[in-house]
Amino acid sequence: MSDPQTPEPRLSPPPHQPNVPSPVASTGGPAAAAGPAAALAAPAGAPVVPGTAPAPGAAPALPQTGPDEVALLIDDRPVVVRKGTTVLQAAEKAGILVPHYCYYPGMSIAGNCRMCLVEIEKMPKLQIGCATVAAPGMVVRTNNERVRGVRAGIQEFLLINHPLDCPICDQAGECRLQSYEKDYGRGFSRFAEEKVHFPKRYDIGRSVLFDAERCIKCTRCIRFCDEVSQSHELALFSRGDHAIVGTFPGRPLDNPYSGCTADVCPVGALTWKPFRFKARVWFLKNVPSVCAGCARGCNVNVATFRNRIHRMTPRVNAEVNTYWMCDAGRQSYDTLYSRPRFERPIVRGLPDATVEQALDRAAALLRDTAKTGGKESVAAIVSARLSLEDHYMAKRILGELAGITRLAVPPHEEGEDDHLLIRRDKTPNARGAELLGLGAPSSGRVREILDDVASGRVKGLVVVGEDLLDLAGVAPATLDRLEALIVLDAWKSPTVERAHVAIPSCGYGEFEGTMVNFQGRAQRLRAALRPPGEADPAWRILRDLGRRFGLTSEYATAQAIFDEIAAKVPAFSGLTFRALGDLGAPVRGAAVPGAAGAPGTVA
Amino acid sequence: MAFEPLLTRNIHRPGSESIDVYLAAGGYQGLKRVLKEFTPEKLVEEVKASGLRGRGGAGFPTGMKWSFLPKGREKPRYLCINADESEPGTFKDRLLIEKDPHLVLEGIIASAYAIECHTAFFYIRGEFHQGYRTFEKAIAEARARGFLGKNILGSGFDLEVIVYRGAGAYICGEETALLESLEGKRGYPRIKPPFPAIVGLYGCPTIINNVETLANVTLIAERGAAWYAAIGRPPKNTGPKLFCISGHVKRPGVYEAPLGIPFLELLNEHAGGMLHPSRPLKAAVPGGSSMKILPASKCDVLLDFDSLAAAGTSLGSAGGMVMDSGTCIVGALLNLARFYAHESCGQCTPCREGTGWIVKILSRLERGDGRPEDVDRLADIAFRIEGNTVCPFGEAIAWPVDSYVKAFRDEFEDHARRHACPMRAGA
Amino acid sequence: MSLPVRPETDRRIDDLLARFPQKGSALLPALYLIQEETGWVSEASMEYVAGKIGLSPAFVSGVVSFYTMFHRQPVGRQHVQICRTLPCALRGADALMAHAAKRLGVKDGQTRADGAYSLASVECLGACDRAPFVQINDLEFGPVDPSGLDDILKRLE
Repeated sequence: MSDPQTPEPRLSPPPHQPNVPSPVASTGGPAAAAGPAAALAAPAGAPVVPGTAPAPGAAPALPQTGPDEVALLIDDRPVVVRKGTTVLQAAEKAGILVPHYCYYPGMSIAGNCRMCLVEIEKMPKLQIGCATVAAPGMVVRTNNERVRGVRAGIQEFLLINHPLDCPICDQAGECRLQSYEKDYGRGFSRFAEEKVHFPKRYDIGRSVLFDAERCIKCTRCIRFCDEVSQSHELALFSRGDHAIVGTFPGRPLDNPYSGCTADVCPVGALTWKPFRFKARVWFLKNVPSVCAGCARGCNVNVATFRNRIHRMTPRVNAEVNTYWMCDAGRQSYDTLYSRPRFERPIVRGLPDATVEQALDRAAALLRDTAKTGGKESVAAIVSARLSLEDHYMAKRILGELAGITRLAVPPHEEGEDDHLLIRRDKTPNARGAELLGLGAPSSGRVREILDDVASGRVKGLVVVGEDLLDLAGVAPATLDRLEALIVLDAWKSPTVERAHVAIPSCGYGEFEGTMVNFQGRAQRLRAALRPPGEADPAWRILRDLGRRFGLTSEYATAQAIFDEIAAKVPAFSGLTFRALGDLGAPVRGAAVPGAAGAPGTVA
Repeated sequence: MAFEPLLTRNIHRPGSESIDVYLAAGGYQGLKRVLKEFTPEKLVEEVKASGLRGRGGAGFPTGMKWSFLPKGREKPRYLCINADESEPGTFKDRLLIEKDPHLVLEGIIASAYAIECHTAFFYIRGEFHQGYRTFEKAIAEARARGFLGKNILGSGFDLEVIVYRGAGAYICGEETALLESLEGKRGYPRIKPPFPAIVGLYGCPTIINNVETLANVTLIAERGAAWYAAIGRPPKNTGPKLFCISGHVKRPGVYEAPLGIPFLELLNEHAGGMLHPSRPLKAAVPGGSSMKILPASKCDVLLDFDSLAAAGTSLGSAGGMVMDSGTCIVGALLNLARFYAHESCGQCTPCREGTGWIVKILSRLERGDGRPEDVDRLADIAFRIEGNTVCPFGEAIAWPVDSYVKAFRDEFEDHARRHACPMRAGA
Repeated sequence: MSLPVRPETDRRIDDLLARFPQKGSALLPALYLIQEETGWVSEASMEYVAGKIGLSPAFVSGVVSFYTMFHRQPVGRQHVQICRTLPCALRGADALMAHAAKRLGVKDGQTRADGAYSLASVECLGACDRAPFVQINDLEFGPVDPSGLDDILKRLE
C-alpha cells in the first residue's frame, strides 16, 4: 500500500551492500573513550558516528531551521532534516541506525515488520520510524529499555517460525535476522512448538529460487515487482501465519530485473540461482565497479573469491541506476567462464610465441601491408566495449603512429530502452569512443571496411575487442582474404582463430579503466581479478605495439593515460581518477538532455 | 424499568423492513426535518451535542469524527457504513439490517447530508445474505420514493448508496481494512496517520460509521440532541444501546436499554438469568470477544463506555458473552485464540506470529501437554503484541489472553500441573 | 479464447467496471458473479477477471485466497457451515460438528465424493443468540441440535 507522503530522500545512500545493516558500536568503543559525559549522552549500544555526539552538560538545544526544514532530537542528538523526512531517515542522518526489515529506499513504505518502533515523547504508543514524518521539536528515543524490549520481542516473533537454515543458507553473513538477533535479540529461543511449514526450494522464476519458510513477509519483493520492475508477478496469498509470497500458476517471476528481488530480500527466502552455494559471503572480496553490459553502466559490486567472480550486485548511484541492476548485467561476467580464453599470443607459423615476438610480427605485418597496398589498405575496427584508455591508445597508436586512417566502431544494439535501466545500446563506452575521436558506432563505416576487405582493397585489419564473425553478414572467407589480420581480444573467438597475430587482452573485471555512459558520465571500472596467462589490458598491448612505431611516452598506468586524456581532451578537463571516485562524474558538455538524473522510480 | 423502545421500535411489526410500514410508523420524518432546518455544519454540531459515541467498538464521539474532515472540496467525500459485524458475541447490526433497514438508511442519508458526501458505501459482511437482499430492497424503495438519488425531497442534496459485500474476513471490520477491501484488495489495515477522514477511500476524505451508530443519527434527527443527550448516563455515555447477550443464558438475544444499565439487570431481567440453575455465573465478557473478561465477582458493573473502562474492560460492540461454572476457561480462551489466528490478516509481525504461537501453547494446555512456563509465556506473548501492531487486532488478541490468565490463573496453572483439563477430569 | 463465464455475466461485470469511482473495486463483486454462475473461482476465471479489470493474475489470486467465501475448488451442492466460535461452542457447537461429520461422512473442510455436501466449521456468523448456528448455502438455521440438523438435511435432500 502506498504512502501518499513518501518523500524524496536524497540523503545518504543505504549501506554499501543493501542487505547488510551497519554494525552497532560496542559499549567499549568510541562512546566510552570520549569521556563520561559523552558516554551518558550516547546510550549503550547506539552506533556513534565520531563528531556527532552532543557536547556534554546542557540539554541539547534545537538548531535554527530554514523554511523547508525541521529540527528534532533523536537520542538527545539534534538533527535538521528536510520537511517530509521520516524519523527513520532523520535518525540515519544523525548517525543512528534504527533496525528495520520492510523499509527499502526507492519503494513504498509498508510498515509491517514493526522492527523500527521507537519512542516519541507525548505519544503513548511506540511509533514506526519508517512511516512517521519528523515534526518540529520531536523528541525521539531509539534505544531505551522500552524500545529495546519491544525490538527483542519482534525479533523473537520473526524467529519462531523461521527455519534454522543458517548452515545452508546463502544469506548467512549478510542476513538481517542474523545481524539483528546478535544486536537486538534475546539470543535464545523460547518457542517449543511445531513451526509452520512451507515449500522450500520453490522454483519461483527463471533465475530466482524461493524458500517460503524463510520468508518474513516484509513484502519488499512484491513492492519491487509492482513499483520498480512493474511486472506484477508476485503477490501475498492466504492470511495469518499461513500468509506467503507466491506467483500465479504459469506466470513465474520472470522480469528483466528479477535478481533485485534477491537483493532486497532481507533473509534467504529469495536467492539468485547462479550464486546459490557458490561461496560464503564473508569470503568474498568486493570491488566497486561498473557493469559493462550496456550503455548505462550500472554501478556494481564485483565479488570475487579465489580469483573468480561469484556475483555482481548493484551499488547505489542516484544518477545512474538508483538501487537496481538488470539480470543480464548481473550475469554479464558469465562469458569470462563460458567462452574459451587464450592465454598466450597466437602467431601464425610461430608456435609458443612470446608477446614481444607477437608485437614484432604485428608491427612488421602492418608496415609491409601499408607499403605494398598503400595507407588506405590498412584499417582498424575498435570495440565500444573498451575503456577510454584503450580508445585513447587506439587513436594514438593505430591512428597516429601506425597511420591507420580508417577506423570504425561497430554498434551493438538489441531491443529497446526500457522504462527503467536497460539500454538498447549494449556497448558501455560508445560515448567514450565518440568523445575521443574514434567516431560514434556506425554500422555503415564498419560495412564499408568489410566490403573493402571482401573486395581486396583493404588488406590489413587490426581488430580490438570484437569478434567480426559475430557482426551481421560477415563470412569467414572474407577474413581469409586479409594479408594481415591482427586481433586483440579476451576470448578465443573465431576471428582470433583466423588471425595472423592474436594477443590476449583482459576480460571484464581484469583491468582498471574508465568508461562514459549514455548520460555522458565518466565512471571507473576496477580490476577485481588477475588476468589469466599473458592477458593484458588492450591499452598496454597497444602501447607496446606503439613502441615499434616510435612511441616514447611512458603510459605506465591507466591513470596516467586518463590524466593525459583530461589534459588533452577539453570535455574531460578537470577530471581525475580521484575525482571520479566510486560514483563517477559528468563529462563536460557531453550530457544528453533528459537522460541525466535517475531513471524510473527515485525515492 | 420501563423503557420506550427507540432503535427496536419497529422490529416486531410485520413487514417492518418495508418502507410502507416504516413510513406508516412515522419514518423519514427526521430526515425531512434536518434537510429543512439544518445546514450540514449545524447537523454536525447537533450530533456532537448529542454525545453519540460510535457503536462499532471504539466508542469514538461521532460528531468529533465527522469534524475531522478537511475543509477543502477538491476531492469527493465518502461515507462507508460498517456492516461487517463479525465480533464474536455481536449480532445487533444484523437485527437492524434485517428488521428495520430504513431506520439505518434514514440515518445514513442524514449523516451523508451532514458531511456533504454524495456516495455512500454499505459494506456488509458476505455471510449476511438475507441482510444484503433486504438492504438492497430498502435502497430501491427509498430511491423510488425520492429519499435517495438526485435532489432528495427537493433539498438539492444528492446521494447514492451502493451495497458492497465483504467475503469472509473479520479484519475487514477494521476501518482501513474495510477501505482496502472496498478498493478490491486484500483487507490489510493501513498505517495511520493519515486517518481516513483525511485520506480514506480512493485517497479521499472518508467517514466510516457503524450501522447502529447511524440508526442513532435517525433518532437525533427526529428529536434533537438535547432529548438524546438526556438518555443513558450523560454527558459522556448518552443514548439508547442495543445490548447483545449470548452463551449460558435462558434468553439470548438483543435487548435495547439506555446506556448504563447494570450488567446483572441485562442478565437476570432481560435474558432470563443463567441457563442452568445449578451452574452459577463464572465469568462474562461484556463487549465482544476482544474485550477483557470479568470474573463473576466483578460483574456488578454498569454497561456504558466509561464504567466498563473503569472496571478494566470495555463496552466494545456490546457483544455480551456469559459463561457458567461448567466452562473451562482455558478451553474458552483456546476457542477464541483459534478465531484470532484464523482471522489475523498476517500483515504485521507480532500478530501474525503471535496468534499462532498462542494457539499452540493453549492447545497443549488443553490436551494435557502443558509445561510450567506456559502460563507466564502466554502473558508475555500478549504483552509483546499489545501496542506494537498496525491495527487494534493486536489488542483484540492480547486483551483476552492477558485478562483470562489474570482472572483465572489457577485454572491455567492447574492445566499445566495436572496435564489434563480439571473439568474434563471431573474435578 | 472462450470466456469462462456466460456472456450475460461478462456484461454484468462490464457494468461493475463503470459503477465504482475506481475500477479495482469491481473485483469482489465480479468474483461473486463468477462464483454465482460457476460455483467456484477457477484459475481461468482469475485470469479472465484480472484482464477485465487491469490487474495482474497474481494479485487477483492473492485476493481470492484472502477471503474465506471465495472457493478455489468446487464445493458440494449443499455447503454446510457450522459456526465454531465461543458463543456457539458454549451451546454445543462442537458436538454438533462431530455429529455432522459422522452423518455426512466427511471431515471438516472436505467435500463428499458424490459432490452432494461440503462441511466446514466457520467463524462467528453473527447470530450468537441462536446458537448453535448453521448456514447451508445462503439458508440460515439456529438454534440447531444434532437431531435438528438431521431434520434439516432430510428436508434438503
